[in-house]
Amino acid sequence: MVQAEPVALPVSAEAILQELNKLDITDVINVPDTHQRSLLAALARQSKIRLLTACTEDEAIAINAGLWMGGRRPVLSIQQVGLLAAMNNVKALCMDARIPTCMLVGYFGRDVTRTARDNASRGVHLVEPTLDAWGVAYFPIESPDDLPAVGQAYRHSVEHSGAAVVLIGAPTS
Amino acid sequence: MRRVEATAALIAGRGDALTVTTEQAIGAWRAAVPEPANEIPDHLDVVGCMGSASTIALGIALARPERKVIIVDGDGSLLMQLGSLVTIAGAAPANLFHFVFENGVYETSGSQPLPAEGRCDLTGMARAAGYAHAAQFNDAGRFAAALPELLQRHGPVFVSVRTEPEDGYLVRSSAGTKLDVQMHALRKRLVGE
Repeated sequence: MVQAEPVALPVSAEAILQELNKLDITDVINVPDTHQRSLLAALARQSKIRLLTACTEDEAIAINAGLWMGGRRPVLSIQQVGLLAAMNNVKALCMDARIPTCMLVGYFGRDVTRTARDNASRGVHLVEPTLDAWGVAYFPIESPDDLPAVGQAYRHSVEHSGAAVVLIGAPTS
Repeated sequence: MRRVEATAALIAGRGDALTVTTEQAIGAWRAAVPEPANEIPDHLDVVGCMGSASTIALGIALARPERKVIIVDGDGSLLMQLGSLVTIAGAAPANLFHFVFENGVYETSGSQPLPAEGRCDLTGMARAAGYAHAAQFNDAGRFAAALPELLQRHGPVFVSVRTEPEDGYLVRSSAGTKLDVQMHALRKRLVGE
């Protein structure tokens, strides 16, 4: 039996951490995401970037707003189902209140041999159309070549005073 | 006690703390401090994301550890994101003071009772979540007398203030000041950009 080739390839946690450091990120607010477990482990091993854990993605978006008002440079690390659960705070804080909010979002349950839009799971294939409907910019990482997406998304969130999502296609290595 | 009495005590005792109010607490604060929210130094009225005021305050407290941050929350709001008690306790900001006006009802939507009203113990929950200190007050005089000592404590501090249900009102951005204007004004005051 021939195994289907993956269309989404892992990106190393250290490479993402390097991108975060290049951006002078001060805090990562996370609700633990299966896809980003090696990134969370890498963050836990260092002390330059503060790693905060929230119980829900709503809280993570709110903490981000408070940190930003106080002059910090935070990003979020969450799962896509959590993002869907927190859309009211995306509306209230990222859109209405125009708070720069950069979110690293893992695709829990994605079949990496198919594009996200072609996945059978609604929790995966509805994410990009949902973000399109809300006008939220997203920057997929489907291979190590896409690492600049982290910086592009962060700068987009600041320049446009709103939300920007990095869609992490495969589990970080 | 009446919400206005608890609010008067907080306004008198807040010193140079950053203050955050939400939902029905906004009205009482506005009555005492009538300026538009973005013209009150270091103040924020949070609407549009019920339950998030305390974690917005948490973010501010973590970013500005040299400043005290007072959040005036409601019981219905807290129940919207009850896990925030654990998130706040986990982050353990020594400078965060979380006051909850507990009136037992959803006042804005017509004073429907909260689930398990009369049996639910938010103060006990805050203590169990890991707040450094948790207390409850039913009497305005005792609350006002205890406030200076509470605000000297090492946070996070949780204080339930039992207030009487009143006639609720539809909460909008206070005094016409939208949340984006307030938040961007607060950032400008805090970091100059």
